[in-house]
Amino acid sequence: MKSKINIFLMEYAINSLLRRGGKNIFILLIFTLLVFLLSSALFISESIKLELNSVVKQLPQITLQRFQAGRQVDVPTSRVDKLILIEGIQSVVPRVWGYYYFKVAGVNFSVVGVDAFEEQYTKQLQDIIDKTDISVFKQDNSMLVGSGVRRVLDENYYKDFFNFVTHDGKWKRLNIAGVFNSDVSLEANDMILISKKSAYEIFGMDKTMATDIVVKVSNPTEIPMIVSKINELYPDMRTITQDDIRVSYQNIFDYKSGFFLALFVVCAFTFFIIIYDKASGLSSEEKKEIGILKAVGWRMDDIIKEKFYESFILSFCAFLLGLVLALFFVYGLQAPLLRDVFIGYSQLKPPFNLPFNVDFAHMILLFLLSVPVYIASTIIPSWKASTLDADEVMR
Amino acid sequence: MIKLEKVTKVFAQGQNEVVALKDISLHVRGGEFVVLKGASGSGKSTILSLIAGLSKPTCGEILVDGKSISKLFDNFSAMFRRENIGFIFQKYNLIPTLSVKENIIVPLIPSNPDPKEIQIRACEVMEKFSIASKADMLVKNLSGGEQQRVAIARALINNPRIIIADEPTANLDSKLSLELIEILKKLKAENRTILVATHDPLFFELDCVDCVIEVKNGEILK
Amino acid sequence: MTLTPEIIALLMLDALFLFFSFIAFVISVRIYLKWDSSSFSPLQYGLEKQSYLVGVVIKYIFFLKLPLFLFYVYTCDKLSNIITGAMCASGVVNSVDFGLYLMVFKILNLYLFGFWLLLHQVDLKDEKQSFTKLKFLLFAIFFIFLLSEIILEVSFFASLNISKIVSCCGTLFSATSSSYISLLFKIDSAVLVGLFYGCFVLMVVAYFLKNSPIFIVSNGLFLFFSIASLIIFFSTYVYELPTHNCPFCLLQKEYYGVGYVMYISLFMGTFYGFCGGVLQRVSQIVMPHYALISIVSNTFYVAIVSLYPIVYRLHNGVWL
Repeated sequence: MKSKINIFLMEYAINSLLRRGGKNIFILLIFTLLVFLLSSALFISESIKLELNSVVKQLPQITLQRFQAGRQVDVPTSRVDKLILIEGIQSVVPRVWGYYYFKVAGVNFSVVGVDAFEEQYTKQLQDIIDKTDISVFKQDNSMLVGSGVRRVLDENYYKDFFNFVTHDGKWKRLNIAGVFNSDVSLEANDMILISKKSAYEIFGMDKTMATDIVVKVSNPTEIPMIVSKINELYPDMRTITQDDIRVSYQNIFDYKSGFFLALFVVCAFTFFIIIYDKASGLSSEEKKEIGILKAVGWRMDDIIKEKFYESFILSFCAFLLGLVLALFFVYGLQAPLLRDVFIGYSQLKPPFNLPFNVDFAHMILLFLLSVPVYIASTIIPSWKASTLDADEVMR
Repeated sequence: MIKLEKVTKVFAQGQNEVVALKDISLHVRGGEFVVLKGASGSGKSTILSLIAGLSKPTCGEILVDGKSISKLFDNFSAMFRRENIGFIFQKYNLIPTLSVKENIIVPLIPSNPDPKEIQIRACEVMEKFSIASKADMLVKNLSGGEQQRVAIARALINNPRIIIADEPTANLDSKLSLELIEILKKLKAENRTILVATHDPLFFELDCVDCVIEVKNGEILK
Repeated sequence: MTLTPEIIALLMLDALFLFFSFIAFVISVRIYLKWDSSSFSPLQYGLEKQSYLVGVVIKYIFFLKLPLFLFYVYTCDKLSNIITGAMCASGVVNSVDFGLYLMVFKILNLYLFGFWLLLHQVDLKDEKQSFTKLKFLLFAIFFIFLLSEIILEVSFFASLNISKIVSCCGTLFSATSSSYISLLFKIDSAVLVGLFYGCFVLMVVAYFLKNSPIFIVSNGLFLFFSIASLIIFFSTYVYELPTHNCPFCLLQKEYYGVGYVMYISLFMGTFYGFCGGVLQRVSQIVMPHYALISIVSNTFYVAIVSLYPIVYRLHNGVWL
């Protein structure tokens, strides 16, 4: 297994690559492009995953939804008092929230009703409330908006107020009392916080009802136990735990990037057939060179090795180049166009920033997806080249 | 030293078979200067490539120093070539984008020797053929005579005992041809065996040539 | 079936391996049947050329399989995030009935391909290439192993079910488990550890006596008892937890990935000891450096695993 790297052979290989510059630059460009597309796709999906994971961590430990005839319906707030009696549950909060479709901009806002005196069900929400003057929610005509919402409203000339259209077609005017930023942009970007009373009014909900109920548990390992108790008490309620959401998010994005990859594999194989074809058709110049090499005492193995160095150097350079370009494209330029493939609802959601999430394992993954495949496509052509009869070249 | 015994070589060209050599036998002693003469396509190049182990005979045997070349596997025939044979081609067959030194060390690359040793050996042959001053120049920028000396230096870097030249003067003017012959004479004086395949009459009258063999249609004429 | 990018990468490379190894298989069979080194026929000449292709293909597969093996373990480790109940790779590996066999096949194939390459090297150095027929017969057989591995791997990924709840390593590697592994727990750990050190001593003695049959056998036994004693005894000291007997968690970041060092030295040592030894017997050529690499790597392995209990004892004054 002794295989010292032969520097002179490496030098020879690099020189040989440069000698056939035109052909190799073409291959380098195409291959760089493929690696670039592939890495961008992976980086985007990984950073969305990271983003969603941090959102999930903010989510309530257990969310309870009521189902009637297979559809989600509102939950009577009276259930809160019974739930709080279950041992292990720390707090139970009824939520009033929903989506508001802003027709003019074609955007969905999440509208959340907040009672400033309640304990908020996520830390993030609590932070926002703590930073603001509570009096905002005492008056029923104010709201807090996420930075994304603010931008959309600005573009539509709502500088300091917004007119909601309530369920019965009346206008409900709310003043913008403040704007919040959040490190977790995906969730908070499209959020509007209003008082619970305004929320009931806009959505036209019964005041004894809530959209859903969130439950906080003192010991996370007891979650499965508590879930089974809740199911016993209220068979019509569906329990969603943090873990359920995390798994389903992961799946969606694995599926999406998987789909993209499958397409990539098809493209890549087409490309490699072209490579194979290009590499097998040796010019008379190349044939002559191989003849000379054999005549001066190179073995078939040496010629194959030289070709291997060539394809490794070429594909590795393209790999690095594609990788760097993708890093710049995704994190520098925020991946224009391509991110829309992954964020299916991007048209409906205000934009957000892609957080940096790349580790060594991703590099290995990308490497394994690209370089070995390229080398594989050159195995047979370089073997064929090495078996050329030198004496036919001499004549 | 070099012995061909009843060697036949048949090439397959599509459906047809072309007989390049017909049952030839040949004997070359160590230190001899032998010229193979004949028109192109007569089979003299085939004889050279068989002796070098570049191709294998269809039947018959080739012995160099009593060792059968025809039965060697690629690994060993390449090793044999590397250690024993120096090739001089027509048109020099250098690699134009490599420097003089890089061209000369090509035969040394596969054995992956110590860079110091490469340096020493390259300097030695470059001195010998007075091209040391051009070591780092690209060969495409050299004159014909210099390119020829680079090609010979490459052939000699492994210090081979057998020099094989295939139509060495085909592309040279008369001045360069004479220069080449001078070099070959020197090599013979160093007791190397020299085989030249050519149809250049310049070689037929030389004093240093021990034997001229005429090849025609794959057979040796006495 | 879940198609994570990692799984697609593994499947794509499997497809490449399948394609190339199949070509190599066809060539191998032809060479085995028709090889005649004394012949000058174009057929023989063609076969000689093709034999190099097989060599290149196997080199390609082997040198990719080495990092891929680590990558596979890593993928399983990563999948344990998605699969409910799995805490590390072992839960994922065992989520399918044949997961463990797949693992065994993967390791076995690394040994087989590595051995083939050693033999290939010896063969190419031999002027008569006297092992060519043997070499290609072996590859034709190894191909079946590779094929089984690929089939197992594809069906493994196909039957991975993320909604199924699997066991974590705590239950798999314990006496209550229903698998073969539980049988190990019936043996006293002192006996196993004794056998482990016994094999090592035997190996060292065989090395100095230059007795290659004993060296080969002791290496084989050493591999088996190393893994058994690692699960039963040594791993608990790495985790510092008497009930945690997992051979996979060693690979995780919490333990500084010490598992990679352990497994690499163990596999390298036993590979050179076992395969190098067999090769010596087959080729009748003495290759002392293989035995040397073997003994050094194996000693290194023994040193690492022994250090954990010793340090624990010195630190805490008791055994686990």
